[in-house]
Parts: sequence; structure tokens; C-alpha cells
Amino acid sequence: MNPIMNLLGNNNMMMQALGAMMRGESPRTFLKNLANNNPQLKGLNLDNLEGTAKDLCNQRNIDINSLKSQIEEFANSNKS
Amino acid sequence: MGESSFGGEWIFAFLIIAVIFGWGGAGFGGGNANVAAYATMADVNSAINNQSTQQALAAIQLSSANNNYETAQLINAQSLAMSNQNNTNLVNAIQGFNTTNQTIANGFASVNQNIADLGYKMDQCCCSIKTMMLERELQATTNALQNQQNIAVNQAQSEFLLNTMGKWVANPASTAAYAAK
Repeated sequence: MNPIMNLLGNNNMMMQALGAMMRGESPRTFLKNLANNNPQLKGLNLDNLEGTAKDLCNQRNIDINSLKSQIEEFANSNKS
Repeated sequence: MGESSFGGEWIFAFLIIAVIFGWGGAGFGGGNANVAAYATMADVNSAINNQSTQQALAAIQLSSANNNYETAQLINAQSLAMSNQNNTNLVNAIQGFNTTNQTIANGFASVNQNIADLGYKMDQCCCSIKTMMLERELQATTNALQNQQNIAVNQAQSEFLLNTMGKWVANPASTAAYAAK
């Protein structure tokens, strides 16, 4: 487990996404299903995930590359 | 595995989830204070330090609670010991008073007995003195009576003698000298 996740607690959403990815589900389908129960996702353009992700990072002044590398590390450490 | 690697769109899905929901939802840093972002090393260090502080504080609180408990136990034990000692002292004092009272009572009983004996002896003494006085009075009376009897006897004898001698008196003395007597 990622030590940061260990320290700050598990992220249920991330773990659900990781499971869906491992099962070979579509990221769009997963997010759309997730949006049914999470109003935070409603209104987002889930047909263009890359553009939406970049827009969100830009709006919130987040370095997308840095976050991307951390997500990859998280995903890789939870694969096994 | 289809899109199980980040070669597809999954990485963007993760990005969206991470930006919207944050990492772990436990307070991430980032450039925008209104959103959850990825953790910086400062955040991690702060969290670790805070966790250490909380653990130390909990240990201190537990130690303090234990100390308070032990202190209370010691006070209770000391209070109980003092109470027991006080009870023992009271019991000893009361027993001492009882012994003293008994001694005093015995002393008074002895004094009363001695007074009663003294009264009895005084009665006996008084009775003896009275008896002795009566005896002496009786002896004196007896002596006086005996003296009176002796006197009476002497008088009777004298009267007899005088009567007898009166015959002589009735007959005149033969001489004047004798008559002068």
C-alpha cells in the first residue's frame, strides 16, 4: 500500500476505480455510474475525460503531471 | 486486460476522481485552498508530526490518569490507615477509661466498706465504753451500799452498845468526874 494512503486513510473512490480498471471496465461507464450517486461529478463532460481532467487541474491550479505520477504510483502499488 | 493500464483513458478518470474527491479525503495541501489536491511532503511531515504529537499526548494523558488513580489509591489507603488508627486509639482510650472507672469504683467500694467497718467498730467501742462505765457505776454503787451497810451495822452495834451502856448512864455516875464526861 502506498505509504501516503496508509497514513491518510484509504480512498474508497480511488479503490473502486482501481477495481473497475482491473476488471476491464470502461472509465467513462464507471464515471457515469459514479455520477449517479455523487453530485460532485454531475455537469462534467465525461465523454472527454482528458479534456475534463485538464480543465479541472487548470481551474484548481494543480500540476497535472505531478498528480499523474502519484496516481500511477498509487495504482502500481495496489495492483499486486 | 483491455484498459487496465494507464495507456488509455483510465489515467484521466483517476485524475478526475483525485481532483474531485481528493486523496484519502483527510486534508490535502495544494495550490488552491478550496479544493482537495495531492499531498506535498510538508503535508505528509505535518501529518506524521501531528500523529506523533497526538500519540505523545495520549500517552501523557494515560500516564496522568494512571498517576491520578494511583494517587487516589494512596490517599484512600492512607485515609483508611488513619481511620483505623483513630479507631484503635479511641478503643484503647475507652478501654483505659473503663479500667480507670473500674479502679475508681473499686476504690470507692473499699472506702465505703472501711467506713462501714469503722462505724461498726465505733458502735462496738461505744458499747464497750458504756458497759465499762455502767460496770464502774455499779461497782461504785455496790461499794456505797456496802459502806452504808457497814455504817448501819456499826450504828446498830454502837446503838446496842450505847443502849447497853445507857444502863450505865441511867445509873448516875459514882463520881463527879465521871459525870462531867
